[in-house]
Amino acid sequence: MIDAFTNLLRLVGSFFPPDLSAAYLRALLVPIAQTIGMAAAGMLIAFVLGVPLAVAIATRAPGHRLIVAALSALRAIPDLTLAILAVVVVGLGPAAGIVALALFYSAMVGRVYGDLFAAADAAPLEALRATGASRIAIAAYGLIPLTLPDLLTFGTYAFECAMRASIIVGAVGGGGIGTELAGTLSTLDFHRALTLVIVLVALVAGVDAFGILARRNPRLVLLLLPVGLISLWLYRPQIFAFAHAVHTFATMFPPHLRASQIASLPLLIAQTLAIAVGGTLLGALLAFPASLVAARRIVPFAVAVAVRRVFDVARAIPELVFGLILIVTVGIGPLAGALALGLHSAGVLGKLYAESLENVPAAPIDALAATGARRLPIVAFGFLPLALGPLVVHTLFRLEWNVRAATVVGLIGAGGIGQALYQAQQLFFYQQMLAYVLVTWGLVALSDWFGERLRLRLGWNFVAA
Amino acid sequence: MIEISGVRVVYGPGAPPALDDVTLQIAAGECVALVGPSGSGKTTLLRSLNGTVAIAGGSIHVDNVEVAQLRGRALRRLRTRLAMIAQQHDLVDRLTVVQNVMAGALGRWSTPHALRFLIAPTAAELAEARAALTAVGIPEKLRSRTNELSGGQRQRVAIARALVQHPTAILADEPIASLDPELGEQIVRLLCDLARERNLALLCSLHQVEFARRYFDRVVALVGGRVA
Repeated sequence: MIDAFTNLLRLVGSFFPPDLSAAYLRALLVPIAQTIGMAAAGMLIAFVLGVPLAVAIATRAPGHRLIVAALSALRAIPDLTLAILAVVVVGLGPAAGIVALALFYSAMVGRVYGDLFAAADAAPLEALRATGASRIAIAAYGLIPLTLPDLLTFGTYAFECAMRASIIVGAVGGGGIGTELAGTLSTLDFHRALTLVIVLVALVAGVDAFGILARRNPRLVLLLLPVGLISLWLYRPQIFAFAHAVHTFATMFPPHLRASQIASLPLLIAQTLAIAVGGTLLGALLAFPASLVAARRIVPFAVAVAVRRVFDVARAIPELVFGLILIVTVGIGPLAGALALGLHSAGVLGKLYAESLENVPAAPIDALAATGARRLPIVAFGFLPLALGPLVVHTLFRLEWNVRAATVVGLIGAGGIGQALYQAQQLFFYQQMLAYVLVTWGLVALSDWFGERLRLRLGWNFVAA
Repeated sequence: MIEISGVRVVYGPGAPPALDDVTLQIAAGECVALVGPSGSGKTTLLRSLNGTVAIAGGSIHVDNVEVAQLRGRALRRLRTRLAMIAQQHDLVDRLTVVQNVMAGALGRWSTPHALRFLIAPTAAELAEARAALTAVGIPEKLRSRTNELSGGQRQRVAIARALVQHPTAILADEPIASLDPELGEQIVRLLCDLARERNLALLCSLHQVEFARRYFDRVVALVGGRVA
């Protein structure tokens, strides 16, 4: 036990100090630009494709049910799985990352904007329709201005996610910081790996700050246009490769697994689910006590803010990056996967739990404080029972998300269906790979469906944030 | 018992005083109604009594102790003696009625005691809750979920919680504002009866001047932060 602990400390220590030499930082400028470029280009395409789809859904254009079904199906494929497909089809490099991000986020923007448009105030839209306005006019004069604050809030949130995602698609050869990070870890260059993690946290914090500015001044979103266009031009797929891409795509059909592989599917699925459940449990166990000291209504402001910074860092580091680091410290296998999910989930859940605790109604808490109660009893008799519903729902949402994430960390050796998928790709068994993609898709779609049913039954449902 | 003399409260620099030179004494077993329009300072006065609102001038003594000088544990001990009852939104819905009633004891319970009660209440604790609920007329609601109660029943539970505090005074801030008149009259009568029976000082803000005249020993009117 003590040996394991000193080993862990030694391993953590081996990451320090980070490599902050001018030469290395200069060399990082290109991967950083690639990462930002991928995110911007992917989101640009996502908005260009997603907004019209959302308008079609909200105005009940012919075929809108089919669009909803297709977008839901596309969303159930984890972004990294899409990235692997894109790397196979488009080839290594940022173009693959852009394709994967564009597909994933078009589906996300289409669905969520569709829901937001559908919830817009009906009366002004009715008036527009009465003038005989076209769908485009209704969108431009009605839907978009009516829902603009929500569109911006979700848009910047999606951009934040895309930035994190553009780091992880790099890990499978999509270019940018992710590729750099995978490289430094596989060569055991831990000092540089730490530098990259710091860069990553800074990037996510930067996007966060940009989001806050953009909500105040929506015109800043237009910055996405030049950045996205430039990186689309720089990283355009080569024309001569296009025929090759189509050919490669064709070789994936029909999907096929050998009998022995089909027999091992239940074990792979069980491993993936175990990673998801274990990660969620660990995340909740870490997040719950920490969230009590991160809620401004329970502890002094300075304490809450300090704990929240820790959550921010854990949230900024994607599961896959935690996974890459843990693989070299605790070794490959489902344990590393569950730990990776747990650490990232702790950051996400900690923030959400703390916010739920802060949002409980004031009157019952004031009444408890007026009895002269101590702080912990006020938490036990007031904050916890009042926030119980949101706490449970956030945890269930995370579990749903972690089923997705568990397939993703499989790629780096954490086991489960994701590992089988990645191995098939590495060995060019594309028919097997597609079969595993379909299994992943089914698993995620099933868990989403189940989660939604459960949340409806509990009487709680809202868009995941 | 409660002695308020020359109290002044100001919310922020430059703002007009929320309370200005308010002087008032309330004896044990005395029922005092506080009337006046919205914004006249009724809530501010009640909240300054238990130290939730800081006073800028004058003094407040409860049982011969000056409230403004109390901090931390001493302030908490004062609050256990002053039971607050607000409008009907101050119960915790997800807890049971017993748990809400016994929350009144949190001020005198240690933290481990409070946590143990949530898991395994003793027979004595349940008996105390039942006695308090009997005093407010709803002993049968002991095991109910709080969100199943009507508005009037919720106020009775809040009063039962106040009784469990073993207070020397009850401070009620418009306790019947969200009840219909008939139910409101029952609650006011219950509060006054309990205060006299148990020799508690009662200070209760109200909008209904006719109830104030009918049931209370004294009616104090606040206008613009001053006693009219």
